[in-house]
Amino acid sequence: MFDPYYLQQLAIGLSLGMTYALMAIGFTLIFGVLNVVNFAHGEIYTLGAFAGLVLISATAPPIVAVILGALAIGALAGFSLERLAFKPFRRFTDEASLKSRAMRESTLLSSLAVSIVVREALEIVFGSQMRSIPFEYLINTPVRVGPVILVTGDFIIFGVAAAMLIGLQYLLTRTRVGLAIRAVSNNPLGAKYVGIDTDRTIITTFVVGSMMGAAAGILMGLYYGAVFPAMGFTPGIKAFVAMVMGGLSSIPGAVICALILGISESMATTFVSSGWSDMVAYGFLILTLIFFPNGLFGARRERV
Amino acid sequence: MKLRLLTLTTLAVAGIAGSAFAADTVKLGYQLPLTGDTAQYGQDFRKAAEIALTEFNAAGKPFKVEIVFEDSRSDAKEGTNIARKFVDDKEIVGVLGDFTSGVSMAAAQVYKEAGMPQLSQTASHPDYTKISKYQFRNIATQAQEGPYNAKWMASKGLKTVAVIAEQTDWGQSVVSGFSDAVKADGGKVVFSEFFNRGLKDYRSLISKLERAKPDAIYTGFFYEDGAQFLKQLHQLGVKTPVYSTSAAYSPKLIELAGEAAEGMHLTSNFLPTDPSPNVQHFVEEWKKRSDGAVPGQFPAQAYDAVRIMLAAVEKAQPNPTREKVRDALAQTKDFPGVTGKTSFSADREAEKELVKVEVKGGAFVPVKD
Repeated sequence: MFDPYYLQQLAIGLSLGMTYALMAIGFTLIFGVLNVVNFAHGEIYTLGAFAGLVLISATAPPIVAVILGALAIGALAGFSLERLAFKPFRRFTDEASLKSRAMRESTLLSSLAVSIVVREALEIVFGSQMRSIPFEYLINTPVRVGPVILVTGDFIIFGVAAAMLIGLQYLLTRTRVGLAIRAVSNNPLGAKYVGIDTDRTIITTFVVGSMMGAAAGILMGLYYGAVFPAMGFTPGIKAFVAMVMGGLSSIPGAVICALILGISESMATTFVSSGWSDMVAYGFLILTLIFFPNGLFGARRERV
Repeated sequence: MKLRLLTLTTLAVAGIAGSAFAADTVKLGYQLPLTGDTAQYGQDFRKAAEIALTEFNAAGKPFKVEIVFEDSRSDAKEGTNIARKFVDDKEIVGVLGDFTSGVSMAAAQVYKEAGMPQLSQTASHPDYTKISKYQFRNIATQAQEGPYNAKWMASKGLKTVAVIAEQTDWGQSVVSGFSDAVKADGGKVVFSEFFNRGLKDYRSLISKLERAKPDAIYTGFFYEDGAQFLKQLHQLGVKTPVYSTSAAYSPKLIELAGEAAEGMHLTSNFLPTDPSPNVQHFVEEWKKRSDGAVPGQFPAQAYDAVRIMLAAVEKAQPNPTREKVRDALAQTKDFPGVTGKTSFSADREAEKELVKVEVKGGAFVPVKD
């Protein structure tokens, strides 16, 4: 008889992986697919969670309105982030600058700077304490499925992640906007020459990706019941690992790798001390980089 | 020659005048995390220190005290840098902090060399006060709390215990302080593991822990990790009783965990509901500065630590030096603080009275057994 203990661990791993995937989807859209180095996604996630928290404590609206509010803040944050940290580096439109990798990669620092400013600002405004979300909003009522216990949030997160994944795949492969995004990521200069409005494409991608980041943030806030300024850091790292493992440009790849990460972490807890389970993520990252430099699901492409 | 003598005299006079001026304001250093992962604690300590300092300076003493706050971000390297900075500032006669045992101990090496008295409100690692005669603390150590809790659990007939604690110097002292005492009382530790601070999901760990079928779970965590742990324990339907140290004693724990915190047992040396005027005064001041929130045990310890240090500075008057402040600190006896009466033992440990507390009906309630 199969030990229900392992089934429970598997379920926990899947639900953990799903939370990583939720973050990884928006992250991969901007960082991987659009090919723009962006380290401020974790703060978008935090902003989404705080937007939800503020809405809840101010007006106590229904949960759908909370999520819509977070999405609006996410869109605004994505737009402003692009304006602040990315647009200034596209000021020069000559061929040399457009081709310059240094120009492209300098957003590593500018986005990191924005992320630090946002985090510290949140700390000044809200304090660094963990803030609780009223219990009636939380999505962690236990649900028993056979020998396994999950919570309602696991199903909601699964639904949202699946919807995001399918929606994005549709957008990227079947629509003109998706075509434009892929064109800009592949060759910004070429895209410009054939008449694609690169600025607009980039802004659109940032807005869509950041809305997903903000949605992930508020969902995680409702799932774990705690919101605090530093909350975006760990999920950001996990999403980064999932994205690199998945081959950077592949959103389904990132999702699958996020699930693999979650399951391996929870399974690893059985055999090694929980203190070491974080090592699994970094171990996978190193192994992937050594043996599959293009990721497990990535296409061959020159990379940052 | 004459000119040189004159210059020297002038310099000497200026020097005396300078030190006479310095005697009017005494400087203390406070190293604490004001940003980063543990900023919430440091911010609270600063608030507590400001309450204590404002009261002290308003009391019409012949001298004023100034506290220099420096942000260590709970980083040992940063903590050591601050320690050097404080040591180099000749006007600073005593230092408070740091928050974590790890950083306090790293900084203590600098203070030991320089002969600077250091009083931490929270560093509870057993080795901290062993560093030199300059290290003091205002918190019960795990060497004190562990056996106390082990006896408590043994008296409730809980024989097999699972122990989990955060992976830090402090967490290790929780496990060792408790486990040895359990064995001495005839109990058994059936599971023992460390987790990383800030872990989000404890469900894997909980499932693993429950496989050992313990009578009770003893935990070494702070309120953030504690709240997540309790909530997920509740989610998984685990009914095993949970015991914890005074580190988890914070109103935030109940706020974050809600009904999942019900029935949790822990120890404490500060009860905001204590009717004594001393405690009520502090609670009122705190509420005024924190939108009506009630202080937890750590801010209370910080408040007392600052007042103990201020009392020592006052005792070391006139012209307090680092050595005089250290000696005055060492003589602290029955200091009437909000965390009970504090005396320093010969090895500079605060002898604290612990209270048994249980979470009942969404509040910390003192219990007899």
